[in-house]
Amino acid sequence: MPLLRKASKNFLVIAMVLMAISAMVLFFYTQYLLNNSIEEELYSNKDRVEKILKQDQTIKGIPPLMMVEKVNGVEALKLKDTLIYDPLQNEIELFEELSEAKKINGEFYRITVRVMVIESEDILFAIVATFVCVIFSAFIILFYLNKNRNERLWEPFFINLNRLKLFSLKSNTPLDLVHSNILEFHELNQELSILSNKIQTDYHNLKQFTEDVSHEMKTPLAIMQSRIDTMINDPVITDGQFEDLTKLQSDISRLNQLNKRLIILAKIENDQFTATELVAINTVVKGVVANYSELTTQPITIQEKQPITVTMDKTLATILFNNLLSNAVKYNIDHAPIFIHLESSSIEFMNSGLLELEGSEHLFERFFKNGNRQDSTGLGLSIVKKICDYYGFESSYRFRESEKQHSFIIDFKL
Amino acid sequence: MTMKYLIAEDELELQKSIVTYLSREANVCETASDYIEASEKLELYEYDIVILDINLVTGSGLDLLKKIKEQKKKCGVIIISANSSLDDKLKGLDLGADDYITKPFHLAELNSRIKAVLRRGQFGGSDSITFKEIRLDTLARSAYVNDESIALTRKEYDLLLFFITNQGRIISKAIIAEHLWGDDSDLLDNFDFIYVHINNLRKKLTKAGAKYIQTAYGSGYKFMSE
Repeated sequence: MPLLRKASKNFLVIAMVLMAISAMVLFFYTQYLLNNSIEEELYSNKDRVEKILKQDQTIKGIPPLMMVEKVNGVEALKLKDTLIYDPLQNEIELFEELSEAKKINGEFYRITVRVMVIESEDILFAIVATFVCVIFSAFIILFYLNKNRNERLWEPFFINLNRLKLFSLKSNTPLDLVHSNILEFHELNQELSILSNKIQTDYHNLKQFTEDVSHEMKTPLAIMQSRIDTMINDPVITDGQFEDLTKLQSDISRLNQLNKRLIILAKIENDQFTATELVAINTVVKGVVANYSELTTQPITIQEKQPITVTMDKTLATILFNNLLSNAVKYNIDHAPIFIHLESSSIEFMNSGLLELEGSEHLFERFFKNGNRQDSTGLGLSIVKKICDYYGFESSYRFRESEKQHSFIIDFKL
Repeated sequence: MTMKYLIAEDELELQKSIVTYLSREANVCETASDYIEASEKLELYEYDIVILDINLVTGSGLDLLKKIKEQKKKCGVIIISANSSLDDKLKGLDLGADDYITKPFHLAELNSRIKAVLRRGQFGGSDSITFKEIRLDTLARSAYVNDESIALTRKEYDLLLFFITNQGRIISKAIIAEHLWGDDSDLLDNFDFIYVHINNLRKKLTKAGAKYIQTAYGSGYKFMSE
């Protein structure tokens, strides 16, 4: 629940409870006071009638408010509510009645005094209603004042929270927070600024590092390569030396491959593949396979359904399928056919194998190598994963037990 | 025909190797180890080909390229750079460079790029290359032995051109793979497939009476007349 609504809700609940309690207290207290005053009035009226009755036994009273009747015995003092028809107003009204029968000057008289209750109830309700109205409007005003004040008080916090949400590690702009003269907010800003600057610098350094190292390695590699090229053409080398030199050449070319792949990974991380277009996957895959058939004698079979188009960088699409196909060719055994299945929203590369790969959950991690292949850079599948992550595709591996095939699947999530 | 090269490269070892490789064909190679030296030499002398490192210690090779183009010098420019990004490549080519090669590269590859630039015309090359009885028409991409056409696939033609360009030099399979397939060659774990193409080419040439592809040191190749 948002902070401001939570604060408002708390205020409202407390206000409602307080209002209900105070209204009830006021109601009962006023009712008690009014009842008291009615009773007091009844008693004093009764005493007055009694006094007059002692001097003059002929009084009849004023029905229905004061009545004197002759009775046959003593009756105890009795206070009760009663309904009486009032002929003057032509309706039945509620009265509070006090009656007592006493012996006055040797005769028994019942004295009854009454007060109309309606009036006091009206007063009671008027008081409580006025109170509720006043308190309610006071609360409403307080509620809005409070809300307004909270909003203004927390404003810098909300602005900064929003900026924090929009803050991107990848961008070069530092986190810009609005100043606040509230001590805690000020401290929060300071800490956030320090933290974000540190993270941003680290992130950029890390990204830059891979790229820098890869680029810096190229010149020494070029020197080594050119020295070897020169030495190979030296007229006085032996077969053994030539063998050693070509081995060195292939090691240099491995380093170079590693380098290229690290640069591709760094470029994907740096968002440098921005030429997004609608790529016809079937066409790209066929192109990759056609290119590959010049490089290998392994049979490659494509099975396709309807054409798929995916929005992505075409270079990355080619890299993606090149890596998957190269992986399949590299680990294919017995010269069995390599299958590529294009489904309606996914692509599957299959090559024959003996057993399910161990540690298959690490397959897509950097520098994970299954077995001890000298020629593997350990980056091919991590590039696949990186490209998939970049575009929200899903990459997975499974072993088809019945066909004895390794299968790599890319789900384009179309 | 003797060509005059300027090699503007600040890494002296690399500079030396390039000079050694290119001088074999009786070419004249001059060197410049920094921006100022390169810029002075370009002011004073004429070259057929300038090999330009983008990152020279005291300045950018791209600025030198701009100068060359401003002065309308008639020389081919090949950029060598440690940066493989497409942007840099396009920038270099937009400024008028004739080719662009990324470090690390094979000297044979550099040599074949130089020859390709020279062939493109205005630098004193021609559309046809002759080696003994073999003639290549680089425009039609076709090959002739004793003026009789021989049918070569695209890769076989490229291979023959590469061999003739680097005649007398030892060429390893890795170099051939990188030349023929460029970046894609590193998709493969071994270079066995090279045999197929070389053997096919060899058979076709031998059939026409031209036996020049020799095996060197067991696993390398050399294109020679004897």
